[in-house]
Amino acid sequence: MAAPLRRSLPSLGRALLSPAPAPARMLSAAASDALVEIKPGEIGMVSGIPEEHLRRKVVIYSPARTASQQGSGKVGRWKINFVSTQKWENPLMGWTSTGDPYANVGEAGLTFDSADSAKAFAEKHGWDYVVRKRHTPLLKPKSYAENFKWRGPPKAEQA
Amino acid sequence: MCLVEVEKSPKPVASCAMPALPGMKIKTNTPVAKKAREGVMEFLLMNHPLDCPICDQGGECDLQDQSMAFGADRGRFTEMKRSVVDKNLGPLVKTVMTRCIQCTRCVRFATEVAGVQDLGMLGRGSGEEIGTYVEKLMSSELSGNVIDICPVGALTSKPFAFKARNWELKGTETIDVTDAVGSNIRVDSRGPEVMRIVPRLNEDINEEWISDKTRFCYDGLKRQRLNDPMIRGPDGRFKAVTWRDALAVVAEVLQQVKPEEITGVAGKLSDAESMMALKDFVNKMGSDKVLCEGNGPNPPADLRSNYLMNTSIARLEKADAILLVGTQPRVEAAIVNARIRKTVRATQAKVAYIGPPTDFNYDHEHLGTGPQTLVEIAEGRHSFCSTLQSSKNPVIIAGAGLFEREDQDALFSTIESVAKKFNVVRPDWNGLNVLLLHAAQAAALDLGLVANPTESIKSAKFLYLMGADDVSLDKVPDDAFVVYQGHHGDKAVYRANVILPSSAFSEKEGTYENTEGCTQWTIPAVPTVGDARDDWKIIRALSEVAGAQLPYDSLSGVRDRISMVAPNLVHVDEREPCTISSEVKPPVKQQVSSTPFKTVVENFYMTDAITRASKIMAQCSATLLKK
Repeated sequence: MAAPLRRSLPSLGRALLSPAPAPARMLSAAASDALVEIKPGEIGMVSGIPEEHLRRKVVIYSPARTASQQGSGKVGRWKINFVSTQKWENPLMGWTSTGDPYANVGEAGLTFDSADSAKAFAEKHGWDYVVRKRHTPLLKPKSYAENFKWRGPPKAEQA
Repeated sequence: MCLVEVEKSPKPVASCAMPALPGMKIKTNTPVAKKAREGVMEFLLMNHPLDCPICDQGGECDLQDQSMAFGADRGRFTEMKRSVVDKNLGPLVKTVMTRCIQCTRCVRFATEVAGVQDLGMLGRGSGEEIGTYVEKLMSSELSGNVIDICPVGALTSKPFAFKARNWELKGTETIDVTDAVGSNIRVDSRGPEVMRIVPRLNEDINEEWISDKTRFCYDGLKRQRLNDPMIRGPDGRFKAVTWRDALAVVAEVLQQVKPEEITGVAGKLSDAESMMALKDFVNKMGSDKVLCEGNGPNPPADLRSNYLMNTSIARLEKADAILLVGTQPRVEAAIVNARIRKTVRATQAKVAYIGPPTDFNYDHEHLGTGPQTLVEIAEGRHSFCSTLQSSKNPVIIAGAGLFEREDQDALFSTIESVAKKFNVVRPDWNGLNVLLLHAAQAAALDLGLVANPTESIKSAKFLYLMGADDVSLDKVPDDAFVVYQGHHGDKAVYRANVILPSSAFSEKEGTYENTEGCTQWTIPAVPTVGDARDDWKIIRALSEVAGAQLPYDSLSGVRDRISMVAPNLVHVDEREPCTISSEVKPPVKQQVSSTPFKTVVENFYMTDAITRASKIMAQCSATLLKK
């Protein structure tokens, strides 16, 4: 339909700035020419993370632009959502408690420049991930002068 | 803020209004441009109060961002700031009109997208203000979007006012289930509580808008919730029990009834996983009576094209003649209505409507109230035929309310003959649509929950209601055992013998298919309430206690099973159109009755268990639906 109008992402500038997906390729088993071959899940295993957290389901997504009229500076980054809902209100103080060490990691701690680097990160920790499609605005070429363009005599029903 | 310096231009140029020409030398970061922007910012802030610390927009405010980026480090304004009287726009939108910077985006939104001429600009110069002229509530089902549209804190959410700051909130990108559109939303939560719901962009479905029901139903998630499994004692009162006891009681009753007396009813908010589990469980118990509410006695589930919006929501913009049959899109699917309005505004598409008198926010022709008008069109005797004949991309949208009618088959075959006559279905264009009402409907028809509700409920001795509150329970035999599994203590709980608490859409991972056949997932944002469990897990546990264990025990297991029944339900974020045409259908013998079409949604703000429990929605129906 209007596929060419969709903003092609990542933009060239961002692609140059972001680290190349080379480390991601190194992680996959196929890259045998790498000096050290890292199997999926290995980093997680040696890092001392409890085993139950190495078999998590995570969602890789790119946060949508805020609905309020802010600029688009923070759009285009990728995040990992740990689908962590183990929270409760502490009965003593009313504070929020959580039993999940990853509860606040995805939101605040991890940001990736591309879906690939987020995937590589999830792979080396052995997480079972799903990548959600990113929705980008449909850009329509408009010009201010169009508003004053002569479109022929007004139609009878419009008058 | 868009001021730039152009070489050989005596003054800074507004880049947003100036077309770039070859040979132009544009400088964006020079002292002249900076000074010019500072000047504009100073004018904007002249009459803007310095109340960011107590403003709900603070932290996600465009003016705040802009003044951080482009503003001066001091103000020179020592006079009195202007003050403007706050307007009452109803129970949803809070106004602090002194903060308004007169950008008029809300006026443009109201007139162009929402289609209500409520807001406008009054006065001139420093007396200029946004208002409704005579005091009037904003009577649009999309009015909440002006909160997002406002670049400052002049229009903010009334229910959210002073409840939380936006940087404390955790956003979870999920979808809405209060109607069949499946609008993309972000659920903002703080700790274990949903604080607000905001839209997120999806050009194919909801663009960047959501309806007021979607945006403000969230307080219903905190009220009337079912916490614990409960059993009704001999005295008629519910007693909280453990899961083990509750499931044992249900399983025991299940052993005593005959297989054909078991009926399962899925509710309108059910996800595909739970409906799959319910269907497998009831089938395993030896009954085939599983249905989803709202699908009528004889749902057209054989071909997907018979119950989906085949044109797709986005492609409605290509239509040039639209025939609405027995559907009131403004209340049934406000976002689809906004899309139709966009089409009408952009291309002057002709809209014709058959059904009871109702509100429209665009030009339309009311052809009639009953099926006779439809028959007249099918026979080519109606004046609207010439419009359909001359249109390139005609669209017919039938309401899902027609599923409940006796003469449903005849009606749909008449609609199909209209489609055939005016070339509505072609290889490059499918204009034959059904607009569904509930989030669960499409997936239920895909999975084959198609039993006849009246017959199966009348003969049921064991009725399993999975969040079904709107099925008529008058016909349930007095000695029937009713299990209600759901998240809200709504209508059906009054008849239930056992209550099994389950999680709401904001607390579970579920698959939903929207009216155009696009499969989407919800992602849990907050923990479940009390001892509630996910719907499919409850049925899985019950199946084991009842001795008919279902062959899956993980979400991926259920999804594998779904992929066997309806593979389109595992292709997430994809719209899978139907490939088989409806021409293979057998001929219909039935006659069209003369009963006029009925209004399906009486109250836009209260359609399901969540919205009926919501205080904000109750306020809306009390103030905004008053005629």
